[in-house]
Amino acid sequence: MPILEARSLTKTFRRPDKAPGFKGALKHLAQRRYKTYTAVDAIDLAIEPGESVAYVGPNGAGKSTTVKLLTGILRPSEGTVRVMGRDPHTERIANAHDIGVLFGQRTQLWWDLPVEESLKLLKHMYGVSDADYKARIAKFDELLDLGEFMPSLARTLSLGQRMRADLACALIHAPKMVYLDEPTIGLDISVKDRLRAFLRELVDEGTTLLLTSHDLADIEEVCERIVVIDKGTVAYDGPIQQLKAHYITTKAVNLILEGPADVPALAEKFPEYGWAAGEAPSEVVVTYESNRFTTAEVLGGLTAQLAPRDLSLSEPSIEDVIRRLYAGELTR
Amino acid sequence: MAKVDVALATIAFKRKIAYKGTWFFSILFGGFSLLAGLAVWNHLIGDGEMGGYDWDAMKAYLIIGFLTSTLAWAGSDWEMANRILDGLIAIDLTKPVDFQRARAGEFIGGMVASVPSAILGTAAAVLVFRPAPPDSVLAAALTVASILFIFPLAFGINYLAVLTCFVTQRYLGVQWARDSMLAFFSGMMVPLALMPAWLQTVSWSLPFVHFTTTPASIYLGRVDLPAALGLLAAQAAWSVGLWVLARLLWSQLVKKVTVHGG
Repeated sequence: MPILEARSLTKTFRRPDKAPGFKGALKHLAQRRYKTYTAVDAIDLAIEPGESVAYVGPNGAGKSTTVKLLTGILRPSEGTVRVMGRDPHTERIANAHDIGVLFGQRTQLWWDLPVEESLKLLKHMYGVSDADYKARIAKFDELLDLGEFMPSLARTLSLGQRMRADLACALIHAPKMVYLDEPTIGLDISVKDRLRAFLRELVDEGTTLLLTSHDLADIEEVCERIVVIDKGTVAYDGPIQQLKAHYITTKAVNLILEGPADVPALAEKFPEYGWAAGEAPSEVVVTYESNRFTTAEVLGGLTAQLAPRDLSLSEPSIEDVIRRLYAGELTR
Repeated sequence: MAKVDVALATIAFKRKIAYKGTWFFSILFGGFSLLAGLAVWNHLIGDGEMGGYDWDAMKAYLIIGFLTSTLAWAGSDWEMANRILDGLIAIDLTKPVDFQRARAGEFIGGMVASVPSAILGTAAAVLVFRPAPPDSVLAAALTVASILFIFPLAFGINYLAVLTCFVTQRYLGVQWARDSMLAFFSGMMVPLALMPAWLQTVSWSLPFVHFTTTPASIYLGRVDLPAALGLLAAQAAWSVGLWVLARLLWSQLVKKVTVHGG
């Protein structure tokens, strides 16, 4: 039974329809006009317990609105949501006990107090026992180095520290379902790596995770399933590996030859592959259709005939697939 | 009161006293308005009386006005409004607490932070200006009870004002309207006794009157015991009424919550 289930989930907003300039402002004052736009359009989504799902899409696609609908912040215009059998909007307080939420762009720390005070207040809110609180803080300290800035005022934290503290706030009550909206936004590589390792551990422990991010490395490293949303509708929903296998049919091998590469001659000799010059004179990039040739076949043939000094395989990039999905070049 | 309400009030208290400069200026300028009021009313009353207030009674009235206005304006209504307007309400709605009770805890915690400065300022004013004493020990006790009702009343009025942000999308105008009504109809600006009868009737039909006129009337013995108890009952009724009204309003407004962006 899914831990989260949304059916025909729709959210429409009313936006002021205002002409630019002074005249437009006056006209809007006298006669208000609004336009209705659909941020989330009849989305169906089901998440099983323990799943880690990436929810991705271009800016304005409706990702954050969906998260707000799923967490009970917003009321759906149409459709239904059930999280652990509850309607998260009408049963907001009960639902909030079992979920953890992090909005990368909005902090839940009390700005003018030490981080520790925020965490202690959340302990009271969620009714976390002293023993559990101590154990979780110790764990967060071990994985996120929380101890170093626990006594610091929230407003004095760096972005990376703030995000780590916010993550601790979202998880202090060991929620069953966690929503992370852009948890690595603006962070440097080392902090990102740390957060991803922490999230992987969280998923391994059985927490259900819904992650939105523009950083595709977050998605690949943390999630197994991906839901791509565009213009409020689902463009793809399935395992990340399947997405790659289905849409990434062109693979590449970089060869470094003993001498300068004669690309036209190689293309004539091996017309079944694509050939392009590499960065160095002796480097050449060979592309092949993975549904026609296996990597072993390609490598076997090329190494036997060209005896390259070195070679490397280019991993299929999910980024390219998602870019093409956004651009409408690929369909479900 | 649950543990979490106390924890929220404590956090608000700590946040308020975290800014020493603001705290100091609030005492300084609160004291300035009291001194200005005393100077103006001394000039107007002289050795006579106005609206039944002689100079000693007026001093007591103004000092009570200083105390009650210091408390009434000490809450964090701006912060509540900004959280709605900036979308931080999204964070509040993911917490397992009743929204209104949580805001009440924070607001009253902020008010409590102003109690030391209000008491200090009042004590200093009493020592320096020697106002009329309370009408009786019982009147003094009932005045304290009446002042305590300012806490739920201030929350009710401020919270309702803040909720209008869901519709207005801006707080400034609402805040001006609330401040003007509070200052005028409470009698903080001019004692009600000096207003035309019809305006007094309007004032007594509003909750604002219970901020200054009610405690001052009880303190100075301008109302007898049954009337004083009636005023306390009215304060209690308004506190409950505003709470219930806010609940009803919230149940509709929560459907209209809009938080754009990530």
